[in-house]
Amino acid sequence: MHLNHFLSMILFAALVSVALACVGRRTIAERMKYALWLLALFVAVGLGIAWLMYPLSR
Amino acid sequence: MTAQLSATGLKTKLNVALPFPIAIAAWIVAGLGHALLQRWPKALGFFLAAAGLAIAGCELRGEIFSWHSGGTFGSLGFIADAGSGIFYFAARMLEGGGPDIARATGDYGTRFIAAAGIVNLLAVLDAYGVAIGRRN
Repeated sequence: MHLNHFLSMILFAALVSVALACVGRRTIAERMKYALWLLALFVAVGLGIAWLMYPLSR
Repeated sequence: MTAQLSATGLKTKLNVALPFPIAIAAWIVAGLGHALLQRWPKALGFFLAAAGLAIAGCELRGEIFSWHSGGTFGSLGFIADAGSGIFYFAARMLEGGGPDIARATGDYGTRFIAAAGIVNLLAVLDAYGVAIGRRN
């Protein structure tokens, strides 16, 4: 299986978000909302850090 | 009413008596502890998360640490990996060509497998909390 960096991050974020939502919220609706929120945060923070680190890679 | 109360009392008594077997079951198979406690959505969520991370980690040819992995990093890696229970032992048995550390995907795979173990350990703690009545 070959995944690029971005897809790997999305997959990791999605699966970890599901687990954290199971721990952090009680109802299924709350868990789904929390998982989506966590996924969005994972991706946003990941892209933000990547963007900040970009000058260091050159 | 009496029957309901006694049934609730029995359930509470069983839950108090079984936290360790439930924690062990939760470690062996991700989500099994919650399934035994009839928390089906949580059981499914933990199983999907741990199984998805472990399978993706193996497909990306991540490194699976053994008990004899040297150094602090190896020992911590083993603890994290072994946390995934049956997925760890299946991955050790089915491991083919070894880790692909020459490419970034292999490195990602190592993190995926470790994360599967950490997620499963989180599920174990949660199942234990539910079994002793501390969590819902």
